[in-house]
This record gives sequence, structure tokens and C-alpha cells, in this order.
Amino acid sequence: MILTRAAKQGCLRLELKLPPDDSTSPQPVLAKPTLSQITWPFFRIGNTTFGGGYITMIVLGRELVDRLKWITRDDFALAFALARVTPGTNIIAFCAAAGMILRGFVGAVSAVVAVTLPSAALAVVLMQSFETWQNRPLVMAALAATVAAVTGAMWSTVWMLTRPHIGKWKQTLRAVVFMAGACGAAWWGVTPVPIIVGALVLGYLWPTPAFEKEAE
Amino acid sequence: MNLLVLYLLLLKATLTSVSGLGSLPMVRQDFVVTRHVITDHQLNTAVVAGRTGPGPYGIYLVCVAYAVAGIPGALVGFLATITPAFLVIPLMHWVGAHANKPRVRGAVQALMLASAGLLLFASVPLARDAIVGPLTLVLAAISFVVISFTRAESMWVMFAAAAVGLVARLFVA
Repeated sequence: MILTRAAKQGCLRLELKLPPDDSTSPQPVLAKPTLSQITWPFFRIGNTTFGGGYITMIVLGRELVDRLKWITRDDFALAFALARVTPGTNIIAFCAAAGMILRGFVGAVSAVVAVTLPSAALAVVLMQSFETWQNRPLVMAALAATVAAVTGAMWSTVWMLTRPHIGKWKQTLRAVVFMAGACGAAWWGVTPVPIIVGALVLGYLWPTPAFEKEAE
Repeated sequence: MNLLVLYLLLLKATLTSVSGLGSLPMVRQDFVVTRHVITDHQLNTAVVAGRTGPGPYGIYLVCVAYAVAGIPGALVGFLATITPAFLVIPLMHWVGAHANKPRVRGAVQALMLASAGLLLFASVPLARDAIVGPLTLVLAAISFVVISFTRAESMWVMFAAAAVGLVARLFVA
């Protein structure tokens, strides 16, 4: 299996916060589940867990690794790490990776659709409701307050993305340069695509101090 | 708007981000600033709808697409939201050879930092639309602190903010 082979090569720094594994022997993996069997936990957990992708990934990990024993801890860790660097929404990429491990490409499609389609339909219903009720003062007061809270949530996302890169002064300086550079370029009217591409190129040419040490 | 164009614009936004709301600056640039097909208020409402329910935060893109082109737009938005996820499959092959290289990891980290900077920049006009008085300013600040530094689920923060807004409205009326 691709994921297991890559994991054995030790090619990723795994950032996983699952509960500690007490066993010292390799984790047993049960027989391969059917397509309908694998769809259910993704549907159930993906559409009932609030709090965003990271929390959903951890809950899914507990279910797939610890309770159902369908995938190994290494497979889960690699899917988790890869999801973080895949473009788009992390949890959807995680589901594609986990579904791929379980049932190949069909499993990946099934897991992704099970996680996203019901919540997408609900979001559209909510959006339509907000639009329909926009002439009612009470509803608009509640919506205006919620929109203000969303602004705080956006700043929270900025903080979440930035926090891991703040530490020793060289690392913090690097974070400030990239963030301020992106903000400044946007302020000067540069569109996001060139900014993203520029960040990728500069990040490639200027690795973090910790990485330079590892390379030595 | 042509559905293919809608799909491609949303796909561009998702392909150049690495988190649920990371696509927001691109979406705002394309749909609010350049093409004027939705307003900042509609974009804010879409984000609220995406964050209030369960599931990925990136689902707000479906709401954006719905605001642009109705139900067909929502379907296109759904496809654009899930398409990049399948890049994880070829990435599994590629990652075995390259992901541990310091320069590659440095590039990925730089991408995340630039995304954070762009999101911060994009939040300014949205905040201008959302923060219209002392109450909304306090709600935004409390929301930031609670979501950043506690384990509280953002859904409850949204519900609490809505309740405060309702009570404030009733009290003022």
C-alpha cells in the first residue's frame, strides 16, 4: 500500500495528537470493509462533529484506528500529515486519503462525498434562510452579531496558521516577513496567485532555521 | 455567470489555499472586487452559513456559488470544493521522495504564512462591513479570544453571538 510504504520510508514529520498507543506489538488491522461500511463513519462523524477539520480528523482517527481497526496508526498519521499540505480543505483531503487506503479511488470518492454533501446541503439551506429572513429586524440583529463573531473567527484562523511559526527570533522574523510581505503586496494591488507563487519560491530558497539544522 | 467560469474561479481559490477559510482572499478578489457578482455582506453571510453547521469550514464556497448562480451554482461549488482533495492521491506518490527535504517543507510553511497574511488583509473590508458599533466590536474580539485560546466549538460561539444580538435588539427596542 502506497501510504504504508511511504510511512516506512520516514518521509514526513508526523504531527499527530491521537491518544497514546499502549501496545508494543504492531497494531492488528481487521478485514477490508465494504464500500457501504466505510461510508457510514465518514457520514456520521463528518456531519455531526462541530469545530472544524482538525477536530473531525482526530475523531475520525479514533474511530478508524482505535475502534474499527480498519487502518493502522502509521497510515492515519500519514493521511493526517498529507492532508495538511494538500491544497483546499484539510479534512476533505484527509477523507480522500483515508478512503483511498480503505477501498482505493472509489473509497476516496465515497468518503469525500459522505463527509461534504450533507453539510453542504445544510449550509445552502442556512444561507437561503438568512437571505429570506433579511427583512426581519430580529433575525438581522442576530445575523449581524454572528457576522461580527465570524470576523473574530477569521482572525483566529490567522492566529492558528501563524502560531506554530513563532518561536526563536529567526523563525519569528521569517513568519513576520512572509505575512507582512503578503499583506503589503495585497495592499499594493497584487492579486493572491502571484503572492502565493512568490511565497512558495521564496520559502524554497529560504528554509526555516530548524530545517537548515536538520539538513546538516 | 457561466457555470464553467464559476467552477474554474472557485477551483483557483481552493487550489491556492491550504485551509478552509484560506481561499477567502481569492474569492473576495474574484467575486466581490473584480466581477461584482456578490457583495461583502453576501460573502460574510456565506461564511456564517458555512461555519454555523457541521462539516468543513471550506463548505462556505458552496454558499458563495449558491449566491452567484442558485442551485446549479451550489452543485458547481460543491465540485470545486472537493476537487483539490483528490490531489492527495498523487501526492502520496510524490511525497515519498520529496516531502522530507528542508526546502520543500520551507516552501509549504511559507505558503501557510502567506495565506495567513492574505487572510488578515482580506478580513479588513469584511470587518468593516461586520463591525458597525461597540457591541459588534466586542463580539468580534471575544470570538477571537474564545476560539483561539479555549477549546470551545466555534458553532457555540456563533450561537452565543446570535443570542447576544437578539437580546440587544430586544433591549434597545
